[in-house]
Amino acid sequence: MTSASYRPVSPEDQRQLASSRHTGAVPTTLEPTEVIDPDLADDVAIDRPWVVLVWNDPVNLMSYVTYVFQKLFGFSLERATELMLDVHEKGRAVVASCGREEAEMHVFRLHEHSLWATMEHDGPSS
Amino acid sequence: MVLRRKFVAPVEAVADGWRINLDTEERNLLIRLMSELQALVTGPDDNELLRRLFPVAYPDDDEKEEEYQRLMREELVASRLSAIESVTRTIDPANARVLLDEGETIAFMQSTNAIRLVLGSMLGITDDESADAADDTDSPEHHLYDFLSWLLEWTVRSLSPT
Repeated sequence: MTSASYRPVSPEDQRQLASSRHTGAVPTTLEPTEVIDPDLADDVAIDRPWVVLVWNDPVNLMSYVTYVFQKLFGFSLERATELMLDVHEKGRAVVASCGREEAEMHVFRLHEHSLWATMEHDGPSS
Repeated sequence: MVLRRKFVAPVEAVADGWRINLDTEERNLLIRLMSELQALVTGPDDNELLRRLFPVAYPDDDEKEEEYQRLMREELVASRLSAIESVTRTIDPANARVLLDEGETIAFMQSTNAIRLVLGSMLGITDDESADAADDTDSPEHHLYDFLSWLLEWTVRSLSPT
């Protein structure tokens, strides 16, 4: 397994669709007389979750990646192996889809284990 | 060595913890490597060898990336130093620790892998081709890389749910 080799794919290949952050105005009445409508792009960005991606690399061992997926996400061995093989064969895999803060926590814990993790807004291109 | 003793896994799960079966020479080697890793992690941020240990979180958004690194980089440095400190303490041959707990074994796994990543960068292992080429190269650094891979493989095995 020491030759377990991942083909790197540059995260720069991926484009994030929107970068606007929700400013979170909560309506306090059923008939608001003055509402500032967020523009459409913001609205779409709010509704889309963030995805956490793990990218292929030539150093991390397949067994190690599978174990880290099980440990951090509670995946079964089968599911963790499936995702690890996606990373290995397709260059990357989505390991979580959630809110921004949770996604940052996952990315941090993956980085603690030296896996190549990034996050981006979910969208039609990913 | 093979002729003198039966093969023993370098890391094994036992009833009440994890046992590290390494000799004094191997322990001292790891402690030296941990000390080098510690120097690297606490050294200048822009060292190219650190790139794999501190990856980019937001490759497509410089502003969010800057914010993320401002908040999290220090925490990641602290986490790595804490793991290195744990390994150095638990495998010290003078201290002769018999059993590690799960957290200490995970710290051992994380730090061993961190050193592999730095070595991988030093050896220019950036893709499948260079990884294959490294497999066939005979140098002290490549032997060290193989030793760490072997150690990591057994550590992962000992931690994996059965």
